[in-house]
Amino acid sequence: MENKKLCLALYTGSVDKLTAAGIILSAAAADDMKVDIYVLLQGARAFRKDIGDNPDKLQMAENPNMKEEFLQSLKNLKVKTWVEFFKEAKAITDVKIHICGLAGKVWGGEKLDDFIDIVDDIVGINEYITAAQESDVHLFI
Amino acid sequence: MTNEELKLLAVDKSVDARGTACPGPLLEAKKAIGIIKPGNIMEVLSADEGTKKDIPKWCVKQGHEYLGTIEESGYFKIYLKKR
Repeated sequence: MENKKLCLALYTGSVDKLTAAGIILSAAAADDMKVDIYVLLQGARAFRKDIGDNPDKLQMAENPNMKEEFLQSLKNLKVKTWVEFFKEAKAITDVKIHICGLAGKVWGGEKLDDFIDIVDDIVGINEYITAAQESDVHLFI
Repeated sequence: MTNEELKLLAVDKSVDARGTACPGPLLEAKKAIGIIKPGNIMEVLSADEGTKKDIPKWCVKQGHEYLGTIEESGYFKIYLKKR
């Protein structure tokens, strides 16, 4: 049986939405899906080496004044950080993380080396459209 | 399978995922099933309510055999057989 494909347009650079993306990635990994993630605009900032899962450098998309409570609750429930979720999914299934070239530049990242080591390459936006057309599940977060 | 039949199963692999919330138990199950042999029986211990529905459905989707669930006090045990 051919593996189903998930295409994720990851626009967000917020810790709450990145965590949600990580949880969805876990489910895709459990199903052996082939995953392509296209990191757009705000998302690219979070993938920068000096940001990653450092909670002090990430904002919340929803309930911004409750970041501490949110992060503490995740910690109490032993929920992984968003980067840990992404890493684990990569270890289980075929997950490729592509940074949109423009998005990288917006946040000062020109080379692959500027981003955390889970990033696979820097691509043009047409690759995203192709992946979206070929996917079984397509999400925008 | 009845609870009595489930209790008599010879379990080849037990995964205690009671310390984690969804999707932790699912991922623990996914990793463990990769290292056991076809035909082996695995039990997953979880206290996460969502997992009780998630793992049986995942199991069938992946082609493994879902054998049943035993409710314990504050957690449950899910049994499955690797295809």
